[in-house]
Amino acid sequence: MEAVRFKLNGKETAYEGKATDRLLDVLREKYRMTSVKCGCKEGECGACSVLIDGVLINSCCVAMGAVEGASVVTLEGFRETERFKVISKAFGEVSAVQCGFCIPGMVIAAESILSKNPHPTEDEIREGLSGNLCRCTGYNAIVKAILNAAKEGEGLW
Amino acid sequence: MVNGFFPHSLQEALEILSQHSAVPYGGGTDLMVQNKPCEAYLFLRKIPEMTQIKVDDEYIRIGAAVTFTEALADARVPQLMKEAVSRIAAPAIRNAGTFGGNLGNGSAKADSVLIEFVSDAKLLIKSLNKERLVEVDKFYLGRKKLDLAADELIVEVLLPKNGWDKFYYQKVGGRNALAISRVSFAGLFAIEDGRITNIASAFGAVADTVLRYKDLENMLLGKTLAEAKELKEEFLKAYNERMVLTRGRVSAEYRKTVCMNLLRDFLTQYGI
Amino acid sequence: MTSISDPVVKRDHDAKISGRALYLCDYPRDGILTGKLLRSKYAKARILGVDVPELPEGYVYADARDIPGDNNVQMVCDDTPVFTRETAEYIGDPIAMIAGPDPEVVEKLISQCQVHYEELEPTLDMETSEEFFFDYNYGKGDLEKAFAEADHVFTETLRTGHTEQAYMETQSMMAEPEADGSMCIHGSLQCPFYVKNALKRVLGLPAEKVHVYQDVTGGAFGGKEGFPSMLGAQVAVTANKAKAPVVCILDRREDIEFTSKKHPSVSVYKAAVKDGKITAMDIDVKFNAGAYTTLTPVVLQRGIICASGVYNVENLHIRGRAVKTNSVPNGAYRGFGGPQTFFTAETFVSHIARKLGLDVLEFKKANLCKQGDLTATSGKYHFRVPLPEMIQEVDEAIGYSRKHAEYSKPQTGRYRKGIGMSLCFHGAGFTGSAEQDVIKAVARLHKYSDNSVEILISNTDMGQGLHSTVPKIAAKELNLPYSKIKMKLPDTNRVPDSGPTAASRSMMVVGELVRRASIKLRESWIDGEEQVVEEQFKQPDFMIPFTLANFHGDAYPTYSWAVNAIEIELDTLTGLTKVIDACGSYEVGTPIDENIVLGQMEGGFLQSIGCACIEHIGYDSKGRIRNNSFSDFLIPTAKDVPHLKAMLHVVEYPNGPYGAKGAGELPVVPGPAAYINAVEQALGNKTYISYAPISAEDVCEILAKEA
Repeated sequence: MEAVRFKLNGKETAYEGKATDRLLDVLREKYRMTSVKCGCKEGECGACSVLIDGVLINSCCVAMGAVEGASVVTLEGFRETERFKVISKAFGEVSAVQCGFCIPGMVIAAESILSKNPHPTEDEIREGLSGNLCRCTGYNAIVKAILNAAKEGEGLW
Repeated sequence: MVNGFFPHSLQEALEILSQHSAVPYGGGTDLMVQNKPCEAYLFLRKIPEMTQIKVDDEYIRIGAAVTFTEALADARVPQLMKEAVSRIAAPAIRNAGTFGGNLGNGSAKADSVLIEFVSDAKLLIKSLNKERLVEVDKFYLGRKKLDLAADELIVEVLLPKNGWDKFYYQKVGGRNALAISRVSFAGLFAIEDGRITNIASAFGAVADTVLRYKDLENMLLGKTLAEAKELKEEFLKAYNERMVLTRGRVSAEYRKTVCMNLLRDFLTQYGI
Repeated sequence: MTSISDPVVKRDHDAKISGRALYLCDYPRDGILTGKLLRSKYAKARILGVDVPELPEGYVYADARDIPGDNNVQMVCDDTPVFTRETAEYIGDPIAMIAGPDPEVVEKLISQCQVHYEELEPTLDMETSEEFFFDYNYGKGDLEKAFAEADHVFTETLRTGHTEQAYMETQSMMAEPEADGSMCIHGSLQCPFYVKNALKRVLGLPAEKVHVYQDVTGGAFGGKEGFPSMLGAQVAVTANKAKAPVVCILDRREDIEFTSKKHPSVSVYKAAVKDGKITAMDIDVKFNAGAYTTLTPVVLQRGIICASGVYNVENLHIRGRAVKTNSVPNGAYRGFGGPQTFFTAETFVSHIARKLGLDVLEFKKANLCKQGDLTATSGKYHFRVPLPEMIQEVDEAIGYSRKHAEYSKPQTGRYRKGIGMSLCFHGAGFTGSAEQDVIKAVARLHKYSDNSVEILISNTDMGQGLHSTVPKIAAKELNLPYSKIKMKLPDTNRVPDSGPTAASRSMMVVGELVRRASIKLRESWIDGEEQVVEEQFKQPDFMIPFTLANFHGDAYPTYSWAVNAIEIELDTLTGLTKVIDACGSYEVGTPIDENIVLGQMEGGFLQSIGCACIEHIGYDSKGRIRNNSFSDFLIPTAKDVPHLKAMLHVVEYPNGPYGAKGAGELPVVPGPAAYINAVEQALGNKTYISYAPISAEDVCEILAKEA
């Protein structure tokens, strides 16, 4: 095989580097998807979260070969959706964004939670966010924002 | 593009492994963290035989490339396995991490492997010309040493179909999520016609491999609860003497204390 | 906006939530060299020489010999080098930097450097180190008499551990040589003028040739107060040699292992009690500075000013020393010395009450300071001390009294519960007279001909929301829409020095300057004309002048206050503790935006709980940090404290804008004492725990001893 073919934010693309290259690095360096942050490179912080075929994944723990034929969504793609607008508004209203470094990952995790469960409980949200570290907020505002987004975005998920 | 193989069948994967040097890649959650230079990955997630859960007369067969999230959603997977797997890291890791990867990484901290030890699980291992069933405790030869040749692939984990009703599970991690086990314990218990037919205990994250002492379990097999109670202190003493634990993120003494506390609690919970 | 406290959507919200905000690591790398540090492998060693591999074209090696100016990172004292001098003083001490276009090649070149060391005997244990960087003493009253007349005398040694700020964005700095010979340095930082002043010396350049600006900063918590001056100097020296821009972004492991952290402490407390009152305390505080002094003296000063806690102790002697060890230099961490000594003071006082057979909270209440009392440094509590009301609020919110009584009964079974309470203050602003004598903050407003107004101050937003709150002040005073007020991340070429963003001073001090400047501008407003107004800091006239020589006077104009209650459940089989409930009341004056201030309190509260249990830096016998990754250095996740409640108790401070005072650091102070107090209760109050953090392993050890 000469290239890894996959969809990035809805667009077909072919990656001609190595199958062992790290998705996180490729997204940031080749595709300039800089919303995908590197916080630890070992799957322990969630700052590099993306959706692969709709599933929440740490892009630091993915080799390029594993996305062959898959659909990868980063915040650059997700921010164009109605769902994003609802999440953004909900985060804004409770000031859930502080330093912001964890936030792209949090937004992707929020989408992952709501797409599986449009009416999550607080505990389900905390479970869904448990792989995304935030050092600023203590998580309360983020959890509250997702609860509010679920209400405000009724029908979107 | 180089250094990736994308088999679409088990046969194809085994053919590739017979001819090339490639590292089997399930979810990547360990491989990408270790980030060791390697010639090529063999991507397993497109192999139907390895990404399914099946049940036959004797076994629940979990494909080696089944993710933890997939297993959690499957009603046929025993509750004890779900207890352990649901405590692995966090959703994104469980969405990617696989049973085969947990085994292949060779760590005694692997949460699904603990359950395979306590339940006498077997592994189906195949190469192009050979296939074998290995008991999971025989698969681990030592610290990070596996009974697995370069051309072999872990294809399935075979969990016994029955015997899961009475279990005990505790993971000790550093926090409530994203926690590597510092001590883990699983127990399975069964009693028929008033006599103990199973009293399996496995200890994870405390030594080079998961620990299980079948000969010590024999002390209580076939006994009534009353007889077992009589033997309880002797039984615990035997474990206490046998278990030689190593230091890790926590001390060997702490690991020992917790293991013994949990073993005793396991017995107590089932009336011993 | 009807009230200044009403929330606004933060100004950086859209950029950050959409992923468009560019942190330094997000910049395109074309034409920029990546720098990596060559670091000492030993905790103490003479550096005899370095065999540098042959460098490919476009790669550069820079060390101390390449420093055009002075090999000192300016902080308080001159001992922290940009690159090692004759000896390396800790594992990781930077020897040199290699920079080049390909990060992988740079990495390889670093690994090929052969450093010749002569290993020396390091000092790793702060308790036996005999080298002291600082030794402060102060006191009041008649200690001897109080101890002679005491009904009871208590002594205890208490310890606090080593922990890491763990901001999500690692330390990152970049230097770009400019055509006119000046150097532009920018990155993730708290205090642009600290970096500027440090770089002037290192580069030997006049002020106008050193240009510093802040990039979007992904958290700091004190960790980016001093350290960016060092990393900034390293990239600038390398860029100067390469004649090309150089960026250095630490990876997580480097960041945990080699950047400044919270000072571990050991304190010996002695107290005299007479008629249920603490009449005297004699306290000996030691902080582990690590290898160099960096910000230690100021951290230690604040630490020892807090050492007698929130109690009115009339006879007092406090000694504070900073010891040198061959470990990573410790520096600013949110709370700045306060978390250490408030833990020790609160825990010690709790233990006194228990030893006397008294209710801990009642004993604390009987000894509380109140308005008009003298502070430890013989200044005054000029304003109301709201702790009694706050204790009651927390009691009602979490059911402290009821639970405390219930959990005091003997508990059996696997799981045991406990609840603890702690009290603290945080002195608002810089210690002593530094604000007036050293910082001399200036804030400027620039009104443009379109009647929009730009706020020009050097204070940074690293997530805490200052750049959303300060514009609210200008908008209110100028009667302008919030959107008409401009404010950008500070650039030393454009803003006056309004001081560092530290010490919980920015809102109280600089926010007030902006308020006054806004009034001035409103009063001189000419439509359509460009106008500039400035305001300068003036010390409030009620203050009793502070002298550092004898620690005498008002160390702070006012204090913020906090009460925490933490309820835990302990598993006697594993030693694991679970936080069932946590409640904090915080008095920081008027919140200039309720959401933002609550966000600070909640985040700080969780950090402080982390510091009480899971956050702990461990070393091996050679002095190397063992847990240098996010899988081994643990901070709380969203599942660790699911019930955490922060409440604001508002008492307006007359000298802050609309009654605001210091907020940012306060919430990280009280957690550990409440937590330990709760663990002790769950353990049946048979034991006195005199350290934090406490691990599951520690709990098991205590249980084993009791059995």
